[in-house]
Amino acid sequence: MIPIKYTYRNLFERRGVAFMTLASIGFVVLVYIGVLALAGGLRAAFDDTGDPSVVIVMRDGTRAEMESSYAQESHRLLTTMPGVERTADGAVMASGETVTIQIFNRVDGTETNVMVRGVEPGAFGIRPGFEITEGRVFEPGRGEIIVGRSLAGRLGLRVGDERELGRNTFRVVGLFTGVGAHGSEIWGDYRDLGDSFRRSGYYSSTRLQAASPAAARDLIETVQADQRLQVQALTEPEYYELQSETSSGQFIILGNVLAVLMAIGACFAAANTMYAQVAARAREIGTLRALGFKRRSIMASFFLEAVLLGVVAGGFGALLSLPLNAIQTGTMNQVTFSEITFQLRTTPFALFSGIFLATVTGVLGGLLPAFGASRQKITDLLREA
Amino acid sequence: MIKLIRRNLLRNKRRTFLTMASLAMALFILSLLGVVNDAMNFADESAIPDRLVVRNAISLTFPLPEAYEQRLRTIDNVVAVTPQNWFQGVYKDQRPENFFPRFTVEPETFRSVFYDYTWNEEEWETFAAQRTAFAAGRELTEIQGWSIGDMITIKGDIFPIDVELQLRAIFDFDEPGQERQIFFHRRYVEEAMGNPGQNGTYWLLLDEPEAAPAVIAAAEAMFENSDNQVRAETAEAFAASFTEMLGNIQFFFSMIGLAIVISIFLITANTMAMAARERTTEVSVLRTLGFRRNQVLGMVIGESLAVGVLGSALGLGFTAVAIQGATPFLEQMGFGFGGFALDSQVLVTAVVIGIAVGLLSGVFPAVAAARLKIVDGLRRL
Repeated sequence: MIPIKYTYRNLFERRGVAFMTLASIGFVVLVYIGVLALAGGLRAAFDDTGDPSVVIVMRDGTRAEMESSYAQESHRLLTTMPGVERTADGAVMASGETVTIQIFNRVDGTETNVMVRGVEPGAFGIRPGFEITEGRVFEPGRGEIIVGRSLAGRLGLRVGDERELGRNTFRVVGLFTGVGAHGSEIWGDYRDLGDSFRRSGYYSSTRLQAASPAAARDLIETVQADQRLQVQALTEPEYYELQSETSSGQFIILGNVLAVLMAIGACFAAANTMYAQVAARAREIGTLRALGFKRRSIMASFFLEAVLLGVVAGGFGALLSLPLNAIQTGTMNQVTFSEITFQLRTTPFALFSGIFLATVTGVLGGLLPAFGASRQKITDLLREA
Repeated sequence: MIKLIRRNLLRNKRRTFLTMASLAMALFILSLLGVVNDAMNFADESAIPDRLVVRNAISLTFPLPEAYEQRLRTIDNVVAVTPQNWFQGVYKDQRPENFFPRFTVEPETFRSVFYDYTWNEEEWETFAAQRTAFAAGRELTEIQGWSIGDMITIKGDIFPIDVELQLRAIFDFDEPGQERQIFFHRRYVEEAMGNPGQNGTYWLLLDEPEAAPAVIAAAEAMFENSDNQVRAETAEAFAASFTEMLGNIQFFFSMIGLAIVISIFLITANTMAMAARERTTEVSVLRTLGFRRNQVLGMVIGESLAVGVLGSALGLGFTAVAIQGATPFLEQMGFGFGGFALDSQVLVTAVVIGIAVGLLSGVFPAVAAARLKIVDGLRRL
């Protein structure tokens, strides 16, 4: 075997060429991880939202809360279902909510749809992650709203600002976080908003807290089986799964298609570099062979060099991609057609995929040159000046 | 000179091929990104500036009363008004290939505003006369395998009713994307819903495009103090608002494009440097023979330029072919509806980038080669 030292020394010896190749593969990895981070961040925004013990009920046949509406009687009926948890002081752990959409301008002047959610006091009990980061919660009847912190950043809303929602003017009294995709919403009192949007007396959805995920399944069956209700029930994670899939699926496919195409391009680059390495080292290879190293060892050594190049390039690309994590952005939720804000996430999976891609590039790009290097005759190699 | 360039390109065929291939690949990706980006842009550049859209000022999820239609018609310069409603619903299942826009319209006034669709008059008459009829674009009927007389069911979601429709007319449009939608009677839905008397949008035809700002102002003022304030805008601005909702995605596309350009630049520059270094001695011999610095410079740049041009041509040719094959796939992924085409803007950008990369990557080795002192070059042997 040729010592590994020879391999990495060689890369150092031809720093310029090696670095250029490394950088080009690194950028390929950066793009791949970047797109995956986009998809990962979007997924995470939804995945942080659902609690498998919470059942969400909407009108039958609807895909999203904003499409659904049903009368108050159905909601009242739902809250009396067996299996709905109660708080220590006996209150039903349920929340009837109305979801509407209103046009807002982002800070950059572009337009977007924003989900406005009218909630009842029960809304907070079933969302234990809910946290006010600035200001306070709205008080019913006073025309107050709270805004998801990430959304507030996108829209340039601050505590104290006033905005028209529907017919009436509301004042922002707090910013909140900790409730996943709800962080892209505006919350206010159910009655205040219902009045302003003229949706009083209707609910878009009802959330029911069950004791456990298993109890939630039973509750779903009870609700679906009830002849008086024309509703569908599913757990929160199931509800957000569709939005998550639909919204992030494109990016995952896009990322992979891009990655494959770019990797093919990078393979050519890696092959080029390795061929040059082999050509430049013809005499060296001849000498090694003359010293008694087998063809196999020569091949292994060059192959290893290419793989090493790939792995290092992958690491380099991954390193370049880390600052992406700080980027906060938003796009359109493809199911609700409203703004969903999220933070790019270079998940371990994305990082690993990037490094893997670079390694494969190195392997494929190095295979032929390494083979070529081992096939040459000693006499030819030594003859070359 | 040209001969020297050609010879030089051919002397290491493998390297030339690999460089060109990587450049071609990069341009292929770049132009494909451009095409997808275009398709995601809902803004209809061909939109005729004489049409306006009026909708509820809160958002599209809120309807407008039926009576607004008559009032909008009274505004000066408004020639015709017709309602259009987004029905949505589900056809067969949630798979993207079964998703296509479904609108309810008023046949009586539809064509006076949307005059740019091409109809078979006989089919149109049948469609207009039958309340349960629907009209579909030619391309959509081909994709779905529908023919006149076929029945389909759309499960309602926003509207809690299922509609059964019979295909009665097939229309053509200049742009295939516009052929991927269906229209059916709004009366059908109105009746099934118990006549709420509502519409999602009103489309206005103006007698002259210049009147648009005045009509927009008049329409918004008309309902300023009503329960349902409206927002009026040109059809183009309406379409653009959908693109805006996608947010920074297009920015990310540009970033990806930039990273690809940097990457190919590195690859090509690297190869050109290798090619030039290999020839140090040769360049010196040429100089000894009397070739001037400029000629040596031109030779190396010419070589990399040739790689750039050929690589770009290869990559773009590839894109042109790929778009044909990949359109169904791209649609399945949900990137816009049809209208995947390599437009001149994308084409020019890609070619410019390809050539620029070729040129730039040749400059450094070329300058180095030209600067080299003859004695140094010959000594390196």
